[in-house]
Amino acid sequence: MTCQVSVFLENKLGHLERVTAVLNAAKINIRSLHLNHTASGWGILNLVVSDPEQAHQRLNDAGMSAALREIVVLKMADQPGALDDLLKLIVKAGVNFSNAYGRVVNEGGSALFMVDVQDFPDARARLSGVGLEIIDDARVYGV
Amino acid sequence: MYWEKELEILDRANLEKLQIERLMTTLRVASNASHYGKSPEIKRFLSSGMSSIEQIRDLPFTTKEDLRGDFPWGFLAADKRDVVRLHSSSGTTGNPTVVYHNRHDLDSWANLMARSLYAAGVRDTDVFQNICGYGLFTGGLGFQYGVEKLGCLSIPAGAGNSPRQIKLMRDFGTTVIHAIPSYLGRLYDVFVEEGLDPRKDTKLHTFVIGAEPHTEEHRRRIEEMFGVKAYNSFGLSEMNGPGVAFECTEQNGLHIWEDAFIVEIIDPKTLQPVADGEIGELVMTTLDRQAMPVIRYRTRDLTRFLDGECQCGRTHRRLDRISGRSDDMFIIKGCNVFPMQIEGVLMKLPEVGDDYRITLDTIEDQDQMIIEVEVKKESFRGDITLLDRLQRHITHLIRDEVLVSPHIKLVEPGSIPKAEGKAVRVFDLRNKV
Repeated sequence: MTCQVSVFLENKLGHLERVTAVLNAAKINIRSLHLNHTASGWGILNLVVSDPEQAHQRLNDAGMSAALREIVVLKMADQPGALDDLLKLIVKAGVNFSNAYGRVVNEGGSALFMVDVQDFPDARARLSGVGLEIIDDARVYGV
Repeated sequence: MYWEKELEILDRANLEKLQIERLMTTLRVASNASHYGKSPEIKRFLSSGMSSIEQIRDLPFTTKEDLRGDFPWGFLAADKRDVVRLHSSSGTTGNPTVVYHNRHDLDSWANLMARSLYAAGVRDTDVFQNICGYGLFTGGLGFQYGVEKLGCLSIPAGAGNSPRQIKLMRDFGTTVIHAIPSYLGRLYDVFVEEGLDPRKDTKLHTFVIGAEPHTEEHRRRIEEMFGVKAYNSFGLSEMNGPGVAFECTEQNGLHIWEDAFIVEIIDPKTLQPVADGEIGELVMTTLDRQAMPVIRYRTRDLTRFLDGECQCGRTHRRLDRISGRSDDMFIIKGCNVFPMQIEGVLMKLPEVGDDYRITLDTIEDQDQMIIEVEVKKESFRGDITLLDRLQRHITHLIRDEVLVSPHIKLVEPGSIPKAEGKAVRVFDLRNKV
């Protein structure tokens, strides 16, 4: 199971830096980052890191609200229309999601698309069922 | 000039005689209630009588906790079939405080209300718009019955919807309005937004403002904005509601109606009377209520008697503005809120940590109650929808509890300083002018 680390963050100066300081001290690498916020002054930071379990533990120990959430990471090309093609297949698989983000691996080459499937238990099976390439943990975490 | 001349200018000696007479009747009625029926002091007074009003100090106090503790019927002194209305405090946690009225009580209350408004210059030729919530809150029906008794054309407009309020004022030529002071800044803004000047485009001449503390400067600003005279009104539901104390046209202190209440001011620590003119806690006894007399009620409001006689000729003493509370209750948008009510709601939610902070602030001319709530680490699932739902859930629960919609701010665990000892959880940053 591939996981991202999600952290509750108030939209205040220095709060994101507190997270990165904890990860820095633990020598955890950030592979991808996605920050969203609500009109109410808080938001959730989603991180793909080299060691999500350790990151989760360290952040919680530091007093922050962090949680592990299952994601599926899909491979796509870094070119016009690639996401459209990918989404056609995701639609075919019937997987609806409310949170996703992307990451370029090498410019003009390939890219990754992370989909939060925590609340969709058979998403992985459905996505591979329509022929999508799911990236394994080692490649996602870069270890 | 007077609604009930004889009573309003009754000399102090005769006023005191009347008080003793009415207190004895009140004690007799009160002893029918299970709470007061047990009191040996009341029994003693009923058998031996009373020679001076100061002897009231031998009677025990009644507190809000007593009212709650003997909920729902412990203070009812009349046959239930004679009771025609109840008013109740907000709240769903714990017992609310309830006050019962029979027909006589409602009529007596309406009369005090009419007397108060008359003292502020309101007459039967006026058009009175009551911008105030109706229902269990006493400001709606309390004013309504008084205004009708006085004979004005009443407009029971209720709270909110400023454009409609303004339309009512213009359609029917409203001359007097009753509202909470913190609403009037907002109302003025809506006048301006609609390209209107209340000084020219309405017939308003008198405002009655109350239900929340405000400064003299705030009053003067309201008078200036609207081109009216604004009079301070004081009341509390345990003593009926509005119509307890009211400013006359001198605008120099609030006459408290001493034929209807015995008024004491005590030191909240020693429980002894303070020296004349010193600030202390207001303690009140009803003198003309049959369904539910209340003896020596500790209002928790801090105020003082003003010295000297009023130019208006009324002999009923004047109270200064309420300067604070001897407990932690605060008033926002006209609603009385105890921090414990909010704590009660929050602590029932497993997602919420132990620390919270209440900030009262003025944002764009509107008073707001901001509550910072910690999201517990253990319950965080990284899901924005769940948190958003939690935020709305807390908002609804608190609004149901205290009748004011709070602004809930979810904050990171540990970001609110840990409370040590008796925590100060309420920060009041509201504009005081």
